[in-house]
Amino acid sequence: MTAGIPLANPDAKARRSRPYRLAGPSWVIPVLLFLGFFFVIPLGANILRSLQAGQTATNGPLFYYIKLLTDAYYGGVILETLKVAAISTVLCLIVGYPVAYFMVRFAGRWNAIIVFLLIAPLLTSIIMRTFGWRVLLARRGLLTTLLADWGVIPRPINLADEPFAVYLGLVHVLAPFMILSITAVLQKVDVRLEESARVLGASALGTFFRITLPLSLDGIATGCILVFVVTCGSFLTMLLLGGGKVTTLSLLIYQQFNVTQDVGFAAAMGNMLLFIGLICLTLQARFLRRSGGKS
Amino acid sequence: MRAMRASPAPGFGGASIELPLAISEQRTMTRGVPLQLLGISKSFGSVQALRPMTQTIEGGEMLALLGPSGCGKTTTLRIIAGFETPDHGSVVIGTRDVTELPPNKRGLGMVFQSYSLFPHMTVGENVAFGLKMQGASATERTTRVREMLALVRLTEHEDRQIHQLSGGQQQRIALARALVTNPSTLLLDEPLGALDKNLRERMQFELREIQHRLGITSILVTHDQEEALTMSNRVAVMSDGQVIQVGRPTDIYERPRNRFVAEFLGTANIVAGTVTAQATEQCWHVAFAGEPGASALVQSDVPLAPGGAILLAVRPERIEIGPVVAGTMQALVQDVVFRGSYFAYELRVPGQDAPFFAYSQSRKEIPADGRVGLGWQPDNAIILEDAP
Repeated sequence: MTAGIPLANPDAKARRSRPYRLAGPSWVIPVLLFLGFFFVIPLGANILRSLQAGQTATNGPLFYYIKLLTDAYYGGVILETLKVAAISTVLCLIVGYPVAYFMVRFAGRWNAIIVFLLIAPLLTSIIMRTFGWRVLLARRGLLTTLLADWGVIPRPINLADEPFAVYLGLVHVLAPFMILSITAVLQKVDVRLEESARVLGASALGTFFRITLPLSLDGIATGCILVFVVTCGSFLTMLLLGGGKVTTLSLLIYQQFNVTQDVGFAAAMGNMLLFIGLICLTLQARFLRRSGGKS
Repeated sequence: MRAMRASPAPGFGGASIELPLAISEQRTMTRGVPLQLLGISKSFGSVQALRPMTQTIEGGEMLALLGPSGCGKTTTLRIIAGFETPDHGSVVIGTRDVTELPPNKRGLGMVFQSYSLFPHMTVGENVAFGLKMQGASATERTTRVREMLALVRLTEHEDRQIHQLSGGQQQRIALARALVTNPSTLLLDEPLGALDKNLRERMQFELREIQHRLGITSILVTHDQEEALTMSNRVAVMSDGQVIQVGRPTDIYERPRNRFVAEFLGTANIVAGTVTAQATEQCWHVAFAGEPGASALVQSDVPLAPGGAILLAVRPERIEIGPVVAGTMQALVQDVVFRGSYFAYELRVPGQDAPFFAYSQSRKEIPADGRVGLGWQPDNAIILEDAP
């Protein structure tokens, strides 16, 4: 079929195999150097540290990992970490999806303002944000005073040192990630698909569950992974709003470094956290590839 | 092609060939449900998108809403579909007032310009969607989906993914999906706008043929005059939120009411003139501004007052080019363009700002100086309602 083309234009094939490129492969060298020095080498050092530092000298290189996975307390902390991450992910999804849907379908020219309002919490320091919540949730804070005045609770209580406060703080800062991930995908879902479903007899709710939700799964997956991984790694919110009632892996790492100064154990926990994060990213990659083939 | 599909059960293969007939028998139930728009109007903020509109679409008829963008045709369709609630007036399908019903309770079929096929479902699942929403059994769904795919000649594509189909195929699947539930009315929103020219022309005939066979009341929204003329029984030309003229395609084309309709449907040569005298019972002499002595005969059903100014439209294919004769309209040939099935002459007429166009099947002999005489049959000059 194309036999005549090389004859007519002998260069065509050669030219096609060398497409026009703005940059050469050598352009990535600076980035590779940077990541090598400040990411790969520290990570490797951290792995070595977890296998060599502290008590590994007497108890074998895998001592810290065995302790982490077999000791009931640390097992509980790992579970708590996963639980907190899972709950805050679900909360972000519940809070975020309606907002994302509203932004894409109804906000129109208000969209830019909403995006700004969403990103605004990320512009303030986490310390300020967290102490802001403490002010609102404390015993003499606005929220509990109001609730007591309305008779919802008998007398003002301290909500600032509760798991509730931790989830509130986490959702406050992480919901934007969920919302922006979902809007990015939802924007590509033609509103006429929903209208087609309506004309074909689907109720508003049926249209959502059969058309809108399945078509926005990619955004939901991305948002969930983001929120989950970031929650796994955050400790300040747990530290400042948990009142010691929410102990997660990252909080424990913080304590290992600052209180017990057991660097080897902290490194092992850090690697465990990294491992959890990697599993999440792998799951997301597989999910995206599967649904990507369909759309 | 259809019969080549492997039969799922003995005896099924033979039946699938006769399916289109079986469908048309079933369709007699919904055949000919009229649709009435009773004074519907709609404003968006301070913009009056649709002025009060009353229109009856007969059962089995295809009405085209034709007009430029922003003329209110899409708003009308969206009110019928139930995506917009009219400020005033009501929509009646058959004898049922559906104005307050949500889109899913109206029993309509709709085809969008963008096809709007569900990308996460196969072709078969797309077509079956409406039946699923009605709660039809799996066996009934399978049978009906096969029928509809046979109707649009895409039987073998049932298990394909949407992105594997060409534009024309997607449009046919969208049609099958819209028709599978036996809707009382079919709404077509620029259904062929995304297709290329050749395919569009083929699909125009195919769509018209299917609509005809099923006898389903249809409303076609389009800005393409050719599509409106080809496909519909009647055309409603809309502008600025209201219907300007409704009629059969030939009437709309041959007898446009005003300048807007004349120019929106095809090309029209517009010329102002003054009635000078009555020639016969139905014909009047009309003199043209800027050209002393030039006049033509114009036929009118209603008497014209001598001395009155009128605005005329003449279709390019109705203009006759001939030698210069005293007392007729004269023109200078500017350009001759070969358009395939005809020649287009661009003419400059003294006293007229806009150029005239004349279409002719054969190539005329043009004298060296380019001066020709123009004429037309008295009944081919259309008197427009606009003030000249």
